[in-house]
Amino acid sequence: MTPVSALRWTRRLPLSGRVGLFFVLFWALAALVGPLLAPYPIGAFVDQNVFSGASGQFLLGTDYLGRDVLSRVLLAARYTIGLGTGAALLACLCGTGLALTAVVSPAWLDELLSRFMDTLISIPSKILALVMVAAFGSSLWLLLLIAGITYIPGNYRIARALAVNLNQLDFVAVARARGEGRFYIAVREILPNMIHPLLTDLGLRFVFIVLLLSALSFLGLGVQPPAADLGSLVRENISGIAEGAPALIVPALAIATLTVGVNLLIDALPRGGRRG
Amino acid sequence: MASPISAGSSGTRKIAIMIAGRIGLAFVTLFLVSLIVFAISDLLPGDAAQEALGQSATPAQVAALRHEMGLDRPAHVRFGGWITGLAGGDAGTSLVANMPVGEIISQRLPNSLLLAAFTALVSVPLALSIGIASAMNRGGRLDRALNIATLSMVALPEFLVATLAVLIFSVHLRWLPSISMVPEDAGWGEMFQSFAMPVGALTVVVVAQMARMTRAAVVDQLDRPYVEMALLKGLSRRAIIVSHVLPNAVGPIVNAMALSMSYLLGGAIIVETIFNYPGLASLMVNAVTSRDMPLLQACAMIFCSVYLLLMLIADVVAILANPRLRTA
Amino acid sequence: MADGSIFSRREMLGGGLALTAGGLLVPEGAIAATQSLPRRGGRIRAACMSLSTADTLDPAKGALSSDYVRHFMLYNCLTELDRRLRPIPSLAESIVSKDQRLWYIRLRKGITFHNGKALTSADVVYSLLRHKDPATASKLAAIAEQFVAIRANGPLELTLQLEGPNADLPTMLAQSHFAIVPAGEKAFTSGNGTGPYRLAVFSRGVRTVGRRNENYWKPGKPYLDEIELIGIPDEVSRVNALLSGDIHMALAVNPRSTRRVSASPGHVVRETPSALYTNLIMRQDQLPTSNPHFAAGMKYLMDRPLIKRALFRNYATIANDHPIPPFHPYFRSDLPQTALDLDKARWHLQRAGIGRTRVPVYASPAAEGSVDMASIVQEYGAKVGLNVAVNRVPADGYWSTHWMKHPLGFGNTNPRPTADLVFSLFYKSDAAWNESGWKNPRFDRLLLEARAEGDHARRKQLYGEMQGLVRANCGVSIPVFISLIDAYDRRLKGWYPVQLGGFMGYTFAEHLWWEG
Repeated sequence: MTPVSALRWTRRLPLSGRVGLFFVLFWALAALVGPLLAPYPIGAFVDQNVFSGASGQFLLGTDYLGRDVLSRVLLAARYTIGLGTGAALLACLCGTGLALTAVVSPAWLDELLSRFMDTLISIPSKILALVMVAAFGSSLWLLLLIAGITYIPGNYRIARALAVNLNQLDFVAVARARGEGRFYIAVREILPNMIHPLLTDLGLRFVFIVLLLSALSFLGLGVQPPAADLGSLVRENISGIAEGAPALIVPALAIATLTVGVNLLIDALPRGGRRG
Repeated sequence: MASPISAGSSGTRKIAIMIAGRIGLAFVTLFLVSLIVFAISDLLPGDAAQEALGQSATPAQVAALRHEMGLDRPAHVRFGGWITGLAGGDAGTSLVANMPVGEIISQRLPNSLLLAAFTALVSVPLALSIGIASAMNRGGRLDRALNIATLSMVALPEFLVATLAVLIFSVHLRWLPSISMVPEDAGWGEMFQSFAMPVGALTVVVVAQMARMTRAAVVDQLDRPYVEMALLKGLSRRAIIVSHVLPNAVGPIVNAMALSMSYLLGGAIIVETIFNYPGLASLMVNAVTSRDMPLLQACAMIFCSVYLLLMLIADVVAILANPRLRTA
Repeated sequence: MADGSIFSRREMLGGGLALTAGGLLVPEGAIAATQSLPRRGGRIRAACMSLSTADTLDPAKGALSSDYVRHFMLYNCLTELDRRLRPIPSLAESIVSKDQRLWYIRLRKGITFHNGKALTSADVVYSLLRHKDPATASKLAAIAEQFVAIRANGPLELTLQLEGPNADLPTMLAQSHFAIVPAGEKAFTSGNGTGPYRLAVFSRGVRTVGRRNENYWKPGKPYLDEIELIGIPDEVSRVNALLSGDIHMALAVNPRSTRRVSASPGHVVRETPSALYTNLIMRQDQLPTSNPHFAAGMKYLMDRPLIKRALFRNYATIANDHPIPPFHPYFRSDLPQTALDLDKARWHLQRAGIGRTRVPVYASPAAEGSVDMASIVQEYGAKVGLNVAVNRVPADGYWSTHWMKHPLGFGNTNPRPTADLVFSLFYKSDAAWNESGWKNPRFDRLLLEARAEGDHARRKQLYGEMQGLVRANCGVSIPVFISLIDAYDRRLKGWYPVQLGGFMGYTFAEHLWWEG
């Protein structure tokens, strides 16, 4: 995409979409280059006081141990966005892929896949995470895997419900009558027609994963210190809640703008693939 | 579209067959879950004996307690013993509390169901109205306002929302209790006060997903040619939505609802922790940390059964509501 | 313990004297603390840190603060500790010994259990001996091994024979685990004890309710009509519950929450300096931590004032790498204080020969403050060329899986009633929880000598030398002693600090009264 066409594309977005795009770009940029701009090392104890307000020395104040909030938020954004994007993509690719397979496959395979998903989903995710972390130790890859696996069944069910409905429609019957293969029907006929609700789902899954990560930090599972994800920052500074410490408000705002931005952008995306 | 009568009779038979099949399959799923839970928890470091004795365990004590708890038997024997017991209706004895698992569960399950039921009562109608209203006003001001509202509801970690609510309504305003321990002889007023914040916090968590999926599903149908055709025929938008769009959109909608509802039992762990609500999720976490296998399995079985039941209901509703699925 | 006296010989020779001492405790506590007289009545709700299905009515199994509170509500021990941690008589009227090995115990007359059964020496024999049975799963099994024989010599008299002389026996018997239960009790479902409260409701993981025992043997006590004990695991929620009036006492308040509590006119923060510590463990049987230069270097890496200030907001006392706090009667004051010294740390660590190898340190929320301490060690380590990687592991399973298993990790030790206990449990060469695995024959010899020694000055000298040995040679670094912080509704009166734990060493139930 050339800069000119990108600009034109942006202009076609509704206002909410542009706001969303702004937040998403902002945080993507923060995740990419932010840690380079961080004024202090993330683990450094730079302030004698804790929960200081914003000042010239510490632009966003200091946290519960007297560390620089700005530096920590910049790095935490990288963890949150990296983990969130990775896990949401993992969940949606696996979930939708399996759903399409199920719909165009013989009934027994459909049934088998659905039972397997039931098994996965009926174990509460936070408790699953608790067990996995206790069993295997906490690592970035494990967190990614837990978050991804947790949201595969949800995406699967929604994608399958959409695909089953589409599978009943005339244009799919026509394609089948033409003698198209199962793979062709799944990818070329069904998938394009469910892309919009699926994108909505992807956006929401991203949000859920970001929130799941913060829920995990509530239970003491999460990114290894001194690094942190945005949810862990909120959690570790929660005792600053009554005094309204920036150490708590800034990461909370970061989560809020990030999640709302992603959803606004997805909502505003021009819709393609719909057959008249 | 098939005539209502033939659809009804073939639909009933189809549903009956499906329900029977599902119940059979439910046992398969439950067995799979118990197997997975057992396998994973066997990977956990330490066992119930070590956890019970804690930091101060001596090897002799651990050995003695292991023997007493039956943990010195091989894994497959333990699993076999547990599952044959369960088949005979006995969920076993908690290793830690030394009382029947059924008894412990029966104290907690009603609490969890009550919390989930109240939350469902609040959140389902709310989500449906938000979703349909914004779909009908697609692109309008109301749609955008509702969209922002639902998005911001899920934009904050639930522990922060819950803690903030406590700070405002309990600490500052003193309207609501900060912990939800409903006494058994509580009146309606007291009940309402105790449940207001936990239900509110859970509603915030689940309503957005349901409302947005409702909206997406309805919008999806509104774009179909039949809607345009019906509009051209002169039907009102409201009539089209009620008699054509909703029945077709109901599949994804009930699916999203059922998923969110199943979250209300096991996913309520944070709300249970912050409001000190004695529910099943915290019991299950407790079972994990104390390595209390029978109790953990019982919780997993309950969560799985409830989930399967909700899914079955969702599928039955989807079939009943969608004529095409009914006759296909 | 303040004057090192063994009350058995000086204060408790006569039953009459002992009774007076027990009776005197009430007004002493009341007047000193609040200048007002105790009054009866009131129902309160107290919140501990957590409850679980492991909640127990069996004193031997007590593991959590809520268990200790519950057990002190329902039961009594043979002795109890006064506010200076000196043992005073409780169910025992006297407990005497000539050689600190063979002890004669006489029980108070006319004491009954909640179900009406009279207390006899058979109950005491049963209650103490059951700790030696592995099936009891007693937390104090290791200590109970010292009991060689316990015999009833009459309905109210018994003798207790120890393996070796131990002048601290009366203090040891005051721990809630050694509470007296009726002979033959196995089920532990009714909470039938001699204590100030009768069990009204016991719901595991949810709540315990105790109602005043109208027949309690201490005149006038207890004061409160009813105590409901609950657990709120989330600290912020616990403080919120207190500030909103839903509970009246909150155990273990975070130092960062104290400002909020103090700002509320109806509430008060109570600090108890204690010997609680979280320590860095450097295993002496694994590389690279077994190199003496490594341990020495790490001790110089500890920025103790920073830990005290940033982690504990000054609710802590600077420690000197040994487990005896400055306010302890046996504290040795002439040992130089180790302080942050990056040059010395670098010098030692270079000699430890680790270079840029990654050294993982295991920390967990299970050991209070250890995750943040690990971050501090990492931060300062980087300054002297030591590459420390923090491994935060869940509290779940920490003690069985990680504690003492890695070359570099953290431990957490609760206050113990005597210097002998903390040294024997955590520093003796053959102790099960010799955290760093150090072996020092001289230390072991001094420990046995001090245990048998009845003279305070001589004991202080022995314990002093042991503190020096631990500080210089043991693979353990103790940066600070952590103060216990509780928060109370101001209407609760009669509080005084007991260094052994929050909630007045968990014994608040019979001491506090309500002035509503």
